[in-house]
Amino acid sequence: MRTLLAIAAKDAKVIARDKTAVLIMLAMPLGLIFILGSALGGLDTGDTLDAKVAIVNLDEGDTGALFVDGLTGSEEVSALFNMDVRTDAEAVRRDVEQGDLQAALIIPADLTEKIAAGEPVSLEVLQDPGSQVSAGVWASVVRAAVSSASAQIVAGRTLGELAAEAAAGTGAQTAPGAGTAAPSGTTAAPSAPTDLSALGLTLTTVTVTDAEATIEKRVSTLSYYAAGMTGMFLLFGGMFGAFAFIKERREQTLARVLATPASRFAIMGGKAFGIFVLGVGQFLVLLVGTMLLFRVDWGTNIPATIAVGCAEAFAAAGMATTLAALGKTERAVGGIGPALIMFFAATGGSMIPAELLPAWLLPLQVISPVYWTVGALLDLMGGAGFSAVLVPIAAVLGIGAVLFGFGLWRLKYE
Amino acid sequence: MSAIVEVSGLKKHFGELAAVDNVSFAIETGEIFGLLGPNGAGKTTTISMISCLLDPDGGSVVVNGHSTASESRAVKQSLGVVPQEIALYPTLSAAENLAFWGRMYGLSGAELKSAVARALELAGLADRAKERIEKYSGGMKRRINIAAGILHAPKVLLMDEPTVGIDPQSRNHILETVKDLNAAGTTVLYTSHYMEEVEFLCDRIAIMDHGKLIASGTLPELRQVVGGMDVVAVTLDAVPEGIEAAIRAIPGVEHAERAEGGLEVLAPDSSAILGTLVTVIEAAGARIASITVTEPNLESVFLHLTGKSLRD
Repeated sequence: MRTLLAIAAKDAKVIARDKTAVLIMLAMPLGLIFILGSALGGLDTGDTLDAKVAIVNLDEGDTGALFVDGLTGSEEVSALFNMDVRTDAEAVRRDVEQGDLQAALIIPADLTEKIAAGEPVSLEVLQDPGSQVSAGVWASVVRAAVSSASAQIVAGRTLGELAAEAAAGTGAQTAPGAGTAAPSGTTAAPSAPTDLSALGLTLTTVTVTDAEATIEKRVSTLSYYAAGMTGMFLLFGGMFGAFAFIKERREQTLARVLATPASRFAIMGGKAFGIFVLGVGQFLVLLVGTMLLFRVDWGTNIPATIAVGCAEAFAAAGMATTLAALGKTERAVGGIGPALIMFFAATGGSMIPAELLPAWLLPLQVISPVYWTVGALLDLMGGAGFSAVLVPIAAVLGIGAVLFGFGLWRLKYE
Repeated sequence: MSAIVEVSGLKKHFGELAAVDNVSFAIETGEIFGLLGPNGAGKTTTISMISCLLDPDGGSVVVNGHSTASESRAVKQSLGVVPQEIALYPTLSAAENLAFWGRMYGLSGAELKSAVARALELAGLADRAKERIEKYSGGMKRRINIAAGILHAPKVLLMDEPTVGIDPQSRNHILETVKDLNAAGTTVLYTSHYMEEVEFLCDRIAIMDHGKLIASGTLPELRQVVGGMDVVAVTLDAVPEGIEAAIRAIPGVEHAERAEGGLEVLAPDSSAILGTLVTVIEAAGARIASITVTEPNLESVFLHLTGKSLRD
């Protein structure tokens, strides 16, 4: 064990003294967090996104107004968005397209009619591609409102069906306040089996109480990129670990270590542990650095946040072993490493929210340690507890173990 | 004395190439054993197998009573290895490097601290212990490279071309260090393609070429391989007719023949014939410009055995 720790300490020291490594592992993520956070979302710090959004209610019935009231009446949503209720849908579409509005909701003219008829309905959510974080949160808020409406409508439908059955036996009865068709998300909902409009069922209120909206409300653009860039740049420790291994092989220090009584377990374990320690250090510097420099709010559960960072540092150590096995030279690792990290980062939501990625890319997210890490960090920023990030932590540790195992299997020592 | 390293029938192939081909030798406790040969002769491959870095394709190696095949950990603990490359961490200081290598051999605490201090003294770099290795000259790096191999006071020190590419002053320091270590009881296996170093240091020498051991013994024994003849080169203003026969008639002269600018004379003991040789030449009317006596050396042994120079 002493040998393993000696190797870990030496490796961590050697990499930490590499100016390029320090630049890429610390300075670059801090710089990118600042630039991306400022450019894409302003320097908001978590309590508000300060995003301009508009709601256009074209509904000829009453239901649309319930949505408008539900959104504008919510203190949480009002704290996040600068909402404007407008009447000209075309003008709003144009404003979103030009970037004057970050997002918008257009309620169709036939909303009440379709709900009453039990037909699918669509709510139109517009998003400015240049404000994907704010727009993504807006979509979540609308989803939460729809979710609230759906619950009432489903309940109403059930009551309506019971009333219809009762009417069939004992004559027509009216069930109190409920709707008939459920808008799901922002698109179509399954149609109801029967037309219940005759029953006089209506939607009474729309509220934004969905947990998703609550979680995301506190995540500013800057915080989002703090999580995203940290998730991505922690993996660069793995690349520099692979560089160090290959350099040792080339300069024969590895052969010299192998000529000592140290076991291969101690040697590889020490190297992996060194990268892990370095990764944890890097995470802590980024955590504290973003708090102090950019006032990023990482949430209240800092031990859980650190646990997530430790898990990804472990994955970085595993990735170092795989990269050292795949690349014979530093140049090769310099090609493979960034490509792999970029793939993990792109699919993992480091650059844009994961839910905005093309659908065909989504299945690949599960193999990205960045996806699990960024997701867990964002959840914690939004107030989630330790139990909410246990699965992501386990997933990242699993990916790290697979990468470490594969690397050990394919590694060449000479 | 007993053998502390026994190499028997050692073989290693890399594809079609027989890098080491049935090599056997034994190193006695307390001696400096030289492994001489040109680049690519198989010296480093042999050392790699002794130090458990390579598994042999055939044969066996026993170090300090332990087989490399079954007791590699004990073998490694008995050995100190000084590789041909400067196998150190450039961004760590000399003291940090030495402390790391000491820990690899199980040293810690006060024992490690004093071992590092001793090694720095031996390298003559105690005053620069805190400087990073990357700031050292080539010779200084070589000295720390050696110091890193002796921290745990190994019974056997394997030194693979430890003076490659350094200045004469550092080379002399290293050669003296090897002598000192040996005097302190360390057995040394020293490989080089510099015959002068091997002649200066080694009690016994084995010569390798193309993976084979082609000769071994003490320096006088190896000189006998070429007949032990001194070569006397005489430069003359003109070579008189028939003088070769007169010289061959001198007692103690084995052979004489014309050479460029004069004569070349072979004799087992040049000092016994020099006086008579000068008299015979002057009597023949020739004027001597210079006389050079060359004792047979490892270069001439290698030339005799392989038909090529060590530096080819």
